[in-house]
Amino acid sequence: MNSEVSQPLSSIRALELSEIWAGPFCGCLLGDMGAEVIKIESIQRIGRGPINPPANAGGYPNADPGKEPWNRQSNFNAINRNKKSLTLDLKTRQGLNSFKDLVSQSDVVFCNYSRTVMENFGLSYEQVRKIKPDIIYMLMPGYGNDGPYANYRSMGMAIDAITGHSFLRGYPDRDHSSNSLVHHPDAVAAINGVMALASALVYRAKTGKGQFIDLSQAESFMTHLGEIYLENQMTSSIRTRRGNRHPDFAPQGVYKCSGDDNWIAISIKTDEEWSELKTIIADDTLEDTDLDSVETRLQNHDHLDNVINEWTSTLDRYDALALLQAANISSGVVIDCGADSYADPHLNERDFFQIVDHPAAGLYPMSGPIFKFESDQGRITHNPAPCLGQDNEHILEELLGYSRDTINKFETEEIVGTVPLPGSDMGGSRRVAKQRE
Amino acid sequence: MPYGALEEIIVLDLSDRLAASFCAKTLGLYGCEVVKVEPLSGDPLRKWTNSNPGNQSGDSPLFLHLNAGKKSITINLDDPKGQSILAALMKVCDVVVETQKPGHLDKIGLAYNQIKKSNPSVIFTSITPYGQTGPYKNFHYDELTLFAMTGAMYREGLPDREPLRYSGEIAQYFAGNAAAAATTAALFKRTLTGHGDWLDISIQECMAGHPHQIGRRSPFIYAGEPDPRSQPRTSASGAREPYAVGTFRCKDGYFSFLPLGPRMWPNIAKMINREDLMADPKYNDTIKRSENRENLEAIFQAWVDDKTREEIFQAVQAAGVPGSPILQPEEVHKNEQFQARGFFQNVDHPNGQTLRMTGDPFRFSNAPTSSIKAAPKLSQNTNEVLRKLLELSDDQIEILAMENII
Repeated sequence: MNSEVSQPLSSIRALELSEIWAGPFCGCLLGDMGAEVIKIESIQRIGRGPINPPANAGGYPNADPGKEPWNRQSNFNAINRNKKSLTLDLKTRQGLNSFKDLVSQSDVVFCNYSRTVMENFGLSYEQVRKIKPDIIYMLMPGYGNDGPYANYRSMGMAIDAITGHSFLRGYPDRDHSSNSLVHHPDAVAAINGVMALASALVYRAKTGKGQFIDLSQAESFMTHLGEIYLENQMTSSIRTRRGNRHPDFAPQGVYKCSGDDNWIAISIKTDEEWSELKTIIADDTLEDTDLDSVETRLQNHDHLDNVINEWTSTLDRYDALALLQAANISSGVVIDCGADSYADPHLNERDFFQIVDHPAAGLYPMSGPIFKFESDQGRITHNPAPCLGQDNEHILEELLGYSRDTINKFETEEIVGTVPLPGSDMGGSRRVAKQRE
Repeated sequence: MPYGALEEIIVLDLSDRLAASFCAKTLGLYGCEVVKVEPLSGDPLRKWTNSNPGNQSGDSPLFLHLNAGKKSITINLDDPKGQSILAALMKVCDVVVETQKPGHLDKIGLAYNQIKKSNPSVIFTSITPYGQTGPYKNFHYDELTLFAMTGAMYREGLPDREPLRYSGEIAQYFAGNAAAAATTAALFKRTLTGHGDWLDISIQECMAGHPHQIGRRSPFIYAGEPDPRSQPRTSASGAREPYAVGTFRCKDGYFSFLPLGPRMWPNIAKMINREDLMADPKYNDTIKRSENRENLEAIFQAWVDDKTREEIFQAVQAAGVPGSPILQPEEVHKNEQFQARGFFQNVDHPNGQTLRMTGDPFRFSNAPTSSIKAAPKLSQNTNEVLRKLLELSDDQIEILAMENII
């Protein structure tokens, strides 16, 4: 947005009703590609962390939540770039009508709340399409909109478990209770959401028809594990936990370099790569010609790991990387998400980090975008995440043509606002309603 | 007549690595006609050893999954005549998906800047490990080494051990899927402007720009702290009912839990039938529950111990605590939810085997998608595609075959 160059989705207005990752990251990517994404929030229930976090709480600039913690929460600000924020109390008639007015001027509505949330607001697809017949409307619950789990709660880590991915990751010599929790499936659902919405837009351009999209987060991730499900059926061998190793190639691993917690990943897949590695390491025990066969290398993997670790332990990880890449060996430094990422010469040359200036949280080097279009001519616009209700007036006045009086009334009646109500971070509007009573 | 959302779009799939191949496959799920161009010897992934020795069909499980529903043609691209056939196909297609080393296609006159002269509306999607520019653009890679360079690996595993990769080929799948989404956005813009585009997708950037990694950058920016590997019962944001966070052994396997903060304590206490603990001064606030974490973890583990995954799954749903059983891969396609949705489809393969394959993760009200088809045999569709797209005659095709061009 705000770019002179027309981006792929510049003509599109999308309404986002989402929190945590799957929906917000979907909206983030739509915004990166030029769509006007309006995040529908409310002061009755916020998804921006606690209203009164303890002083020194992590996740805020300088560990200071400040007077408006909801506008300074780092996770929220990181993945809600390139959006507008409108607060509406959808439990009121006026709030609901405003949303419907907005729908009549929008192309896309998407929601990653539980399946029944929209229905309970009176905003099911059937109801919304009466306002805008060609609307593209997507629900993206964990397990899809039907079936025995349709109403189940889920999160990224739950999808990771139920799809079999959790079963296969981890150290082979430890059991699953030492596994981390991985929320990667949320991000997969987000990109699948973008894919589904974009293809529905192509279809609408061709036929004039809108769409109801039922997207399952679990099924989205399962398409990334397809060969594993096939292996199971095609052979009798069952895949077990591999750690960083591979059953057919050796050596494969992550090896310690000089310094504190510095590592390099090395993957040998061919005999040529093995021969090059032998030459670089120049250790007598590797000269054994039996090791030229991958079967022998697999049997002696522990010994090979020891020799490689001894070699890497005295080397700077980037020096090791340069040596290995020069020898055409697949290798990569283990970079962290802090200093290493920001210092990475490659990410920097490709302008991966963009400085944004957030009105409440200050300067921040934002990550992304993950898509580069030639037609953008190298221009990347990252607007900071919106403050709560930041665009209320603009949207109600300019877009919906409401009078100043109406907007004032909305503010007085707490249909819109920029400050969350007490309790709105603790499970929603029902609690607020109780407090009002 | 059902009409796929992207029907009538022709995708030329030049991939020989996973990410680009999955990008083309995803476009196919939404209705594109995907023509896979292989060398005469076949896509190297047909023999990829992620397959197993016991597999009789010849093609690897990875290839069968990535290429389900595609058409296969073979062209010898070392021969100038082969290159000109590919150029002719690029002229009539809507999307090209490729994964050559940056600069390689320029040498044979088939790069975007050369193709767009004859096909200005083509969407040209290049997917490479590190993108088209920058010092790492020619780096040798595979899933393990690329995953290390995204920031995702550093945080995985235990503090006193080496960092860990995910299982599967996660980074490459993620980037291929993201590339398909961006390609479709470019197709949408094309419906309005008629203009094509060139997408430069870096697998490293897709994973480095992923919410997991984005979220982990703020502790460094705001406090100068890295975000190191941690013990499983802790979470990055500090105590969130840590005694019940992570993966626990149960009666018939393992179960993962993630309570969302202190407000879940009553839900948990009720779920494990220990509401008495709520009045216990050892446990009545977040800090005390963190201090007495080991006791509480033992109590929680005792509740988990004698229950099956299914019993716990029912209990967490009733209590509103996020959690899920860890299924083994062979259990997944028998799961009642995925069966009820018809997600896995039975697909007949040429060797006589019927395989349960993953289907569409989406349902469209107006644009049903067709059923999943088996991956093509090598060159299965060469004649058909050349007749249809290039209007070659049978005689012309026969001559090309005799000359080992196709």
